[in-house]
Amino acid sequence: MGRGRGQTRPPHPVGRPGLTTPMLDKRLILISGKGGVGKSAVAAGLALLGQRRGLRVLAMEMDSPGGLSAHFGTGPLEFEPREVRPGLHAMQMVRSDALLEYLALQLNIKGMSRLGALARAFDALATTAPGIREIITIGKAVWEVREDRWDVVIADAPPTGQIGSFLRAPVTISELVPTGRIRTQADFMSETLKDPKLTELILMCLPEELPVTETEETMRWLAKEDLVTKPRVIANRVLEELTDPDTPPGPVGEAAALHRSWWQEQQHWLDRLPPDHSLPYLYGLFTPGEVAAHMADELEAFA
Amino acid sequence: MTRTLLVTGGGGVGKTTVAAAIGVRAARSGLRTLVVTVDPARRLASALGVEELGNEPQPHAEEPNLWAAMLDATASWRAVAMRHAEPDVAARLADNEFFRAASEHFPASQSYAAADQAATFVQAKAWDLVVVDTPPSGGGIDFFTAPAQMADLVGGRLLRWITGGPLPGRRVFFNLAARPMLRIADTILGSDLLERVAEFLLDLRTTYDGVSRRGREIEGVLRSASILVVTTSDPAPVREAIKFYRELPGLASIPVAVLFNRILPPNWADATAPAGTSAALEANLARWSAETVRQRDTREEFSSRYGAHIATIRWSSAPPTDLGGLAGLLDQADGLPWAELGLAATGS
Repeated sequence: MGRGRGQTRPPHPVGRPGLTTPMLDKRLILISGKGGVGKSAVAAGLALLGQRRGLRVLAMEMDSPGGLSAHFGTGPLEFEPREVRPGLHAMQMVRSDALLEYLALQLNIKGMSRLGALARAFDALATTAPGIREIITIGKAVWEVREDRWDVVIADAPPTGQIGSFLRAPVTISELVPTGRIRTQADFMSETLKDPKLTELILMCLPEELPVTETEETMRWLAKEDLVTKPRVIANRVLEELTDPDTPPGPVGEAAALHRSWWQEQQHWLDRLPPDHSLPYLYGLFTPGEVAAHMADELEAFA
Repeated sequence: MTRTLLVTGGGGVGKTTVAAAIGVRAARSGLRTLVVTVDPARRLASALGVEELGNEPQPHAEEPNLWAAMLDATASWRAVAMRHAEPDVAARLADNEFFRAASEHFPASQSYAAADQAATFVQAKAWDLVVVDTPPSGGGIDFFTAPAQMADLVGGRLLRWITGGPLPGRRVFFNLAARPMLRIADTILGSDLLERVAEFLLDLRTTYDGVSRRGREIEGVLRSASILVVTTSDPAPVREAIKFYRELPGLASIPVAVLFNRILPPNWADATAPAGTSAALEANLARWSAETVRQRDTREEFSSRYGAHIATIRWSSAPPTDLGGLAGLLDQADGLPWAELGLAATGS
């Protein structure tokens, strides 16, 4: 708020060539996936990795509160970004706050009191009109990309079941609103989301029936709609092959049998939807913080 | 009397499978049982004998006493509002772009539709047991808060915010378009969007009495239902499960149990490999042993912190997808409070 951001400022120049590998060279990384596949853990891991590499990172919890903040171990996040590690800020998307910020910037109104009534009216609109709620959320992420404060914005995005209406929001708005400022902004958002130099969409997946089916459906839909850059699929909790074929009696053999049959089941789904990258199963890790740190280590290889 | 069991929890924990397994078990013990589900995996849907979305329970071809319904939540939400609207309002709503959007995108609409439909089945008194696999939205919590949220949506609170004052009649409202606020809004939106929304909300508001009365009925059904929370031992679904102990008092009964699905054999926690085991197998046991310890600690913490009754189901490489497998799933369960689920302990 009040950082003098203007809608006419051109997009930030792209990346820092040579410093990072491609994924973290993008300015906006959206991480989606079916609920429970490790979306937040990977978002947190990517953010930590970016921070380790010296990037100025904004991690944004776009969906339900708690996932990302648990991985940073910082307690509940707020709308105003907070520095959770040196160089790494984290925030929670709060629609009403984003709306106020948007209106303040749009209308150039300093006093919040005058904005109250208007913001409430818009909030009613956001609850009812298609695309408005979503565009405020996705719009906040896209606008932060323009900020000089961040090298990369990493969003723990809504799950695949809902990501479509968020990605489609700029188009929905364009269909609903023929002219006006919000329309212009919607067009700008569309361009950002479609620009492969700026935006990365990651679909997290588990090698299991429902997540694979849902990921496939999402990819088909995305290919048809052409709203965003081509997504990258990351399979999570992938077991490595157990090469020793022996099955002695007792827990040793039981654990071996379990591992092999689970591995085999996973192979079936990995064959059906070959991922761009795989992340290993993390055994026995307990705190979300430990999980995020390990994710960062693993992501090092390809992010 | 119809008993109601709500099987709830976050996405991807095997909730639908557990609900189906309880349904099959109950049917085989002689109870006329209906399993209500939203968006199950295809193989599971066909095991339950339903191939298509619809709000009409289908009797199972092979399993006497078993019915299943796979809800079309979008359609039923629309039906709810229509049911409470005057014919001319219903006609306007039917082809209103905002109404379509609200029924597809309003966060609680799928949950509301499912709750409404489930309550209808319970009130029909045609079954001994209705097992509801609740939508995963909000970790399952939305199912319980949806009636109030829906009444709020149609209740005109939003409308008051737009008009900034007392609720106007349709005629008065158009004069309000001259208000400075709406002019500002139109500048930003570049159209009369806000006004069109207000018009829609005026129509929707006429359904308020019906919708809120129905909401209270649904809440009554939900309050008297038994709740089984399903989770895995992973942090995200466990966080969702905790909500049922922290956020629901007043809206629902205390869950009869938290069912931890896909647990590893507890004796692996302190298992060690005998001398002569290959390095690969020893390392494999060590990692699964660590995983077993983590799972156990998660359960113990849940139990001691929330006083929850803990039940478990063992991990299996491929979850059951046919009737026989579903019936057998609960044989691997430990600690399920059978009586409170409305089932005999030694079924099937």
